[in-house]
Amino acid sequence: MLHKTRTRRRAAVLAGAAALGLLLTACSGSSGGGTGESSGGGGGDATLVAYTGQAGDYQINFNPFSPTRIGGLGTIYEPLFFLNKAEVGDPVPLLGTEQSWNEDGTVLTVTLREGVTWSDGEAFTADDVVFTFELLKSTPAINSIGFDADVAAVDDTHVTFTFGAPAFVKGPDVLNTPIVPEHLWKDVNPTEDVIEEPVGTGAYVLGDYKPQAFTYDANPDYWGGEPAVKHIRFLALSGNQAGADAIAAGTVDWQTGPIPDIQNTNKNFPSYDAYTQWQMQMVLATCSSAEMGCTGPQTDPAVRQALYYAIDRTQLNKLAFQETAGEMSPTFALTPSQDAFISDTVEEKTVPMTADPGKAAEILEAAGWQKGSDGIYAKDGERLSLTVEVVTGWTDYITALDAMASQAKAAGIDLQAAQSSWNEWTEKKTSGRFQLVIDSLGQGPAPDPYYLYNYYFSSASGAKVGETAGENFARYANPDVDAAIAELAKLPLDDSAARQQYFDTIQQAIVNEMPYIPVMTGGTTSIWNTAKFTGWPADDDLYAFPAVWSALDSAEIFKRLEPQG
Amino acid sequence: MSYFLRKLGFYVVALWAALTLNFAIPRLLPGNPVDILLAKLQQRGGSVTPETREAYALLLGGDDSQPLWNQYLSYLGNLFRGDLGVSVSYYPAKVSDVIMASLPWTVVLVGLSTVIAAVLGVLLGAFVGWRPGTWLDSLVPAGTLLAAVPYFWLALILAYLLARVLGWFPLQGGYDVVLDPGWNGEFILSAVQHGILPALTVVLASVGGWLLGMRNMMVSTLSEDYVLTAEAKGLSPLKILRSYASRNAVLPSVAGFAISLGFVVSGSVVTEQVFSYPGIGGRLLGAVTNNDYALMQGVFLFITLAVLGANLVVDLLYGLIDPRTRARS
Repeated sequence: MLHKTRTRRRAAVLAGAAALGLLLTACSGSSGGGTGESSGGGGGDATLVAYTGQAGDYQINFNPFSPTRIGGLGTIYEPLFFLNKAEVGDPVPLLGTEQSWNEDGTVLTVTLREGVTWSDGEAFTADDVVFTFELLKSTPAINSIGFDADVAAVDDTHVTFTFGAPAFVKGPDVLNTPIVPEHLWKDVNPTEDVIEEPVGTGAYVLGDYKPQAFTYDANPDYWGGEPAVKHIRFLALSGNQAGADAIAAGTVDWQTGPIPDIQNTNKNFPSYDAYTQWQMQMVLATCSSAEMGCTGPQTDPAVRQALYYAIDRTQLNKLAFQETAGEMSPTFALTPSQDAFISDTVEEKTVPMTADPGKAAEILEAAGWQKGSDGIYAKDGERLSLTVEVVTGWTDYITALDAMASQAKAAGIDLQAAQSSWNEWTEKKTSGRFQLVIDSLGQGPAPDPYYLYNYYFSSASGAKVGETAGENFARYANPDVDAAIAELAKLPLDDSAARQQYFDTIQQAIVNEMPYIPVMTGGTTSIWNTAKFTGWPADDDLYAFPAVWSALDSAEIFKRLEPQG
Repeated sequence: MSYFLRKLGFYVVALWAALTLNFAIPRLLPGNPVDILLAKLQQRGGSVTPETREAYALLLGGDDSQPLWNQYLSYLGNLFRGDLGVSVSYYPAKVSDVIMASLPWTVVLVGLSTVIAAVLGVLLGAFVGWRPGTWLDSLVPAGTLLAAVPYFWLALILAYLLARVLGWFPLQGGYDVVLDPGWNGEFILSAVQHGILPALTVVLASVGGWLLGMRNMMVSTLSEDYVLTAEAKGLSPLKILRSYASRNAVLPSVAGFAISLGFVVSGSVVTEQVFSYPGIGGRLLGAVTNNDYALMQGVFLFITLAVLGANLVVDLLYGLIDPRTRARS
């Protein structure tokens, strides 16, 4: 993976490359540039060519537990259930058919599907499930979900997970874990084996592998029936710009990442359509807590609030995000899919889309800031000047910061962008040596705001400045929020009546204190070939989050697609 | 003989210095591999909990606790055993495997196009220099113009014109991925077809330099007394061009050629970006951005060895083809 792996960002496009991209788009009429990529003819045996944003060649690794795997998750190795992060709903049965918790949330019982076989012909049993979770427990290096329950097979089709404490919130991680076959994996070193010949229960098996591309073939014995798309090929290109070129040349059928003039995709390339969904909530994260060692004006909540009102989000969306960014709730519950979680006590359900410098001034002046002769506020001799860290090459964020700087200036706040390399930026973020960082907050394993609160707002994953922080790099620490998060962990995810009071507490606190200043929800845009394949997710049938790099989601999508003509 | 011994001794010291820098420089980079991997997972919407961090720290092993001095000694020791370590960004692949999978593409593409550019440039330069002041001289600004245009831009323009508009060449990749790499006609044909356009851009971008250097050397060589003498002897112009003028004028180009051969390994980063061509450049870029020390060191080692090796060969060759360089020995 090269530095431009951030699929959503435009690659570090050299200025000229972007210009050329426009040129390419403009002249798309003369397409069909005679590439050697014979991506399979039309008809029932079509090959779907996907590009994940992978930069540079592949190195073989189909170990579903390895962070450097290139594939296999979902398509070959299936989990018990599929959790659709794009919509709030019940888990979709895969290897499991039913799941239920006991009253106090310590025992999770899963009923397994009958008649499933591994792709080498052996039968799938409850022992495989037990083996998989025992493997996680006995191998800390792959236990990325911190699994610590006792797992036991009740009979051939029932498995129980017994936790030491209420663990409702750990359920999704368990259900998402890929199941591996005991008869093969008992001889595998799960940390170092790359599993060149993966055997799973999934709808696809590995066809062939080359460093430049690998192919999945449909599994004729799949329990859900052989999928209609018979072959899926994943290509290795050099980055997002190459992906955009491949769309223009018609050699890739599905990629998730920006292309020039994205709103007119269907006009420029009639076989393709662009579809955007919103998950990554863009923020100006602040080093928020003076107690933890943060310094600078942003440690004052009034400054963060003022900046929140100073941003003209409509303009940002137009200038920086090709109008692909979406609304956002200051409570960080995804809007609109998680609106039900938003507290009634929060006045603004979504962020203001236009700037309100008047309100920003009001907040600042109430907190004792006074406008200086240069038009910038100051307090106790400290000028309201803030530096935002951004990664060189994240062109959309850099453009957004340019626009924000002039918007903030109108509200009397001096905002400066500082570009640094990806590595340096990460270092600053985790060590806390920053004032503001532009970044986005991700979702958890299930469509539930609990996970985001637990990752980003719990003081357990914070740290003092100078020490390495976990996800809470804003170093936000609020005992009330911590307590509410702890209470939520003890409640079933579907008991909304009991949970809402804790959500109220958290949301009020974070809207008032705003350690992460909400900007907008970043769009994840897929460009896909609607002429060759149908059945893609759509607004009225959002059965998976549409991103080709999100392995579990794309596996569901591959199963639903139908080749055309 | 002591000329060669002195040269060899110098190269041993240079190699040691290069290896030491190779060890030190990656460690000056901010960040560590685990943080960067986690940050990447998070960007892609993965859930990153403290448990995740713990697991990956265990998996990728950050034995940073070892004193730097120990790390340095074991690094040197491992190098001599040919063990380059395990790549973090392609964990658990060995660095040598990662590099060996990519190296042939780079060596063949950039190596061949460098040779073609040098030979073409020198031949043209000799010819143009032989007749200075004629219309042939216009080749010089034409060549340097192509060399002066930023390489990525030239490459993009050619890719657009020849691949997108005219469709003469494939736009991306090293071969048609439907085929199996190996010694079969179909694959080789496809690889050649995919390689022509990137090679063409490399040749166009570098031929101007060779042409200019050779042409100017020719002009100054032609004013030497021994050329005049040769003419006075009544030798045929072609023989003078071949055996008197060109042979002397080409000496600086030979040295330059050696150095550019050394940079073949590193010189392919942009080419690979523009054409999505497989090769070592992409690996190097990936290694740097992922703080993959072992892979970085591995690639740098290859570059170092290539540069030093090429220089050594030319130094030794020079001693043979140009007796003046060993005059003092």
